[in-house]
Amino acid sequence: MKKRILSVLLSTAMVATLLVGCGQSAAPAESSDAAASEEAAPAKEEAAPAAEEETSDEEAEIYMFISSPEYADAINELIDAYGEVAPNVTINYETTQNDYPTLLKAKLNSGEVPDIFSSTSGKEIDVYKEWSYDMTGEALESTIDPAVAAMMKSPETGDGLYGIAIKGNYFGIVYNKAIFEEVGIASFPKTMDELKTACEKISAAGYKPFTTGFAEWWVFKHCGQTFVNAAAREAGITSAELVSSIVKGEKTVADYPILMNNWFDFIDLAVKYGDDKPLETALANEEAALANGECAMTLGQGAWIEGDVMSINPDFKLGFAAYPVSDNPADAKIIAGSDQALRVNKDSAQLKATMDFINWWYTSDYGKAWFNDVAGVVPPILSDSESEFEVIKQGSALSATDGAGDLNICYSTDSFHQTFGELMQAYIAGTATREATAQAITEQWAAIEGAN
Amino acid sequence: MKITTKRALRKWVLILAVTLISIIYIYPVYLMFMNSVKPFGEIVSDAIALPTTLAWDNYTYVIKKIKYVKLFTNNVIITCTGIVGIVAFSSIAAYIMDRRKNRFTSIAHLIVITPMLIPFQTIMITLLKAMNVIHLSGSRFGLGVQYWGFGIPMATFIFFNFMKTIPKEIDESAIIDGASTFRTFISIIFPLLKSVTVTVIVLDVMWIWNDFLLPLLMVNSSNKTKTLVLAAYTFIGQMNTKWHYAMTAMVLAVVPSIIIFIFLQKYIVDGVVAGAVKG
Amino acid sequence: MSQKQKRLLKEYAENFLYIIPAILLVTVMIYIPFVMSGYYSLTEWNGISKAPKFVGFSNFQTLFSSKGEFMNSLWFTTKYTFGFTLFSNVLALALAVALTKKFKLANFFRGIFFIPYIMSMTIVGFIWQFIFTQGFSKLADITGWGFWNFSFLGDPKLAFYSVVFVGIWQQLGFYIVLYIAGLQAVPADVLEAATVDGATGWQRFSKVTLPLLGPSFTTCIFMSLTNALKVFDIILALTKGGPGGSTYSVTLQIYKDAFTNNRYGMGSAESIVYFLFVLIVTQAVLKLFSTKEVDL
Repeated sequence: MKKRILSVLLSTAMVATLLVGCGQSAAPAESSDAAASEEAAPAKEEAAPAAEEETSDEEAEIYMFISSPEYADAINELIDAYGEVAPNVTINYETTQNDYPTLLKAKLNSGEVPDIFSSTSGKEIDVYKEWSYDMTGEALESTIDPAVAAMMKSPETGDGLYGIAIKGNYFGIVYNKAIFEEVGIASFPKTMDELKTACEKISAAGYKPFTTGFAEWWVFKHCGQTFVNAAAREAGITSAELVSSIVKGEKTVADYPILMNNWFDFIDLAVKYGDDKPLETALANEEAALANGECAMTLGQGAWIEGDVMSINPDFKLGFAAYPVSDNPADAKIIAGSDQALRVNKDSAQLKATMDFINWWYTSDYGKAWFNDVAGVVPPILSDSESEFEVIKQGSALSATDGAGDLNICYSTDSFHQTFGELMQAYIAGTATREATAQAITEQWAAIEGAN
Repeated sequence: MKITTKRALRKWVLILAVTLISIIYIYPVYLMFMNSVKPFGEIVSDAIALPTTLAWDNYTYVIKKIKYVKLFTNNVIITCTGIVGIVAFSSIAAYIMDRRKNRFTSIAHLIVITPMLIPFQTIMITLLKAMNVIHLSGSRFGLGVQYWGFGIPMATFIFFNFMKTIPKEIDESAIIDGASTFRTFISIIFPLLKSVTVTVIVLDVMWIWNDFLLPLLMVNSSNKTKTLVLAAYTFIGQMNTKWHYAMTAMVLAVVPSIIIFIFLQKYIVDGVVAGAVKG
Repeated sequence: MSQKQKRLLKEYAENFLYIIPAILLVTVMIYIPFVMSGYYSLTEWNGISKAPKFVGFSNFQTLFSSKGEFMNSLWFTTKYTFGFTLFSNVLALALAVALTKKFKLANFFRGIFFIPYIMSMTIVGFIWQFIFTQGFSKLADITGWGFWNFSFLGDPKLAFYSVVFVGIWQQLGFYIVLYIAGLQAVPADVLEAATVDGATGWQRFSKVTLPLLGPSFTTCIFMSLTNALKVFDIILALTKGGPGGSTYSVTLQIYKDAFTNNRYGMGSAESIVYFLFVLIVTQAVLKLFSTKEVDL
């Protein structure tokens, strides 16, 4: 009702403005637009019921607005391929990385809700649940990787399938095999002590052990989650329980020794043996330093840097391993899973057409092969096709032998992770002590996640 | 003799200092241009060395990728719509406010110029909602109309201050001759406002052409409506590791302004001054 | 109705007719959203759910009571505004004085200084980010000066100066032009009279030129002040508020709370408080300067 009144008020104001404005040079254009905007309102409301009767043979326009622009080319190919299957369906695809949450919110509030939109998986599934279609029972349920599907459940109710993923992911350390061979380290370190020794050796050989990318807030969440898993293992609880214990205010970061000691020790080590300007080093610098053979290991990165690294240095010998986090080699597990989710607007006028597309993507032969052949990502579906990418090959080998850890970044939203990154940056800059940082992380975790 | 050598010396020191500072101004712009024609590997390995090969295909790639011509047209449409409305509405309002001083016009004056002090971020959230209600978001013309609202306070302020310098006798004699208020304004007063109109146009063109946040909220959703700066911004975000394309996109975004500036430097600089200092 | 009344009525109608478009446009684009912000500041809303929850003044309480980010950003903005306003005016005036000494390339230099002003602030931020992160290390290799090896964007203290520097770099040309105009308006005969009276160069400048620059001062100070208080694009492109959250301006903080942190209601509350802050600061500074202005 309020919106109605406001609408009338504003429209009247605008029309009056435009009418009064006549007599100026721009008059014709103005008045025609005023008329157009008045007509547009009722037309939009009428469009909705009509659309419900549509079937897949009829024309449909799907509006897809998602993040992950790095896969834009691959997704365009996918859309072209679908155009041959369903020629009457047009998919308007739009992507952005910067300010995606801002723009998505702008769209949700403007009523121009995308048919397909994205969020992170896990905790954010609930944040957007009101808008999101539950895909339980759809055809894709038979092909989606159960580990991916688990991340698409509503954490609150523990069921549902509120999204699909473009890709699975492996999180670990991407390193330069050639440097490790040169200094005589046969297997990648699995404990903190081994890592320290390795750093000394690499440094003595004249290389920089780490390039860290600490200018990016998300590097911290990617690194930190292995420590959260280890801390939870040590406390005898699941990672989800660990996160909720802090969010509920029952525990603090300082209550978990692996977080309080090992995590900060690890950061100190990375800073000591890392870039000259740690807080200025971003993704691009990391890639260059690794590819050019100046540095041995990158932090916080994964499969997405492989293409760039190989394009800078085609002879690069890429290695992929888990973060050493404690004295226990078993804690050094890579993390697998899907950290983002593509959601379908449940009130979409094109719901059927949209789901037809999504099901086709996940179940058709082309769609299933697309993940490996076109996008070059870890398939988020059950599949046995071989990848060309080293990170993916080594990642799947590692998860087969050592198992893979819980993708626990998804138990919190990116709002928290961004703050977490900033707090860690302040620690690295030396403006906050370890204790103060741990306390601030505890407080912010509870404040931000408690509110969401 | 001694005084003149001392003066000459001081002058040279001065020129030297100004030259040094101007290097801080030229160098970044030069780096941007130079890196835009380097292949990826060369930027990453050495950002300040001259390119060994000229990678003009950076340009063909980016121009095609961001649909440069289309974006350029969008910018022109948005800017022109904005400017026409701002100049039209605020010049006549300022005229009436100055010539017909009474309770109504002085309150109106206050209402119109106060928003100069409201930072845009304080209303951007709700502006979006309001604009959706009246369907001004998501279109180039709609964005142009929004600039009327945002540009009018400053423009009215400048026009109003300048209006004082035009003698009242001029329009009074026209009115006595039987011309209507509107007629008097259009054919007699407005031509006299030429220099200050240039000021308003120059300041507002620079602002609207380069504006970021309002277009981000209003027209970013589609390539059909996007502006150049937005495209460069999102493009840089997507290509955050591909500096060669990012540099090219930046060059493409600033080149139109620089070319216009070089040719119209005199008008632009005089324009900036006319309204601001006399006001 | 007499002829005079008729004319008066027509005049009032005209006044209304010609002024009302401006008022309506400003109302629709600025005042209505502003009032709506006021409403949302009283709610708890994440910007996503369909129904905001009314919470009274609790957003404002949190905002002032917590040792919070808003206060930090307010402090940052204050420091930024002070640094920016001070240095951009001092430097602009100095360069304007230099450029009004007659030498050949004066106009060329004026053009050079003006170029960043016509570029988008977002782009300027990106260019400098590139130079700080990529260019400086190479300059260090070439020159061997330790200066280039400082982490200008990575050290929270230096990041502040870097942001101020880039902000000034972008806008300086504009103020230079305004000061040049002011300097050229100082009548030559007054200066000559001072010379005849035996005033030295510095005395002439401080006792004659400077006071007569009043209007230029007021304009430049006012402009630089409001621009500094609104700083947003440059920081977003240059540091995104980092490192460690050390360069959040209030505008960026509002943006972050409303859109990234899903605290739309809180963002609105911050907006309202910030508006009052800006209003008070600008009015106070304007008052201060307009009393000191010397008219010819």
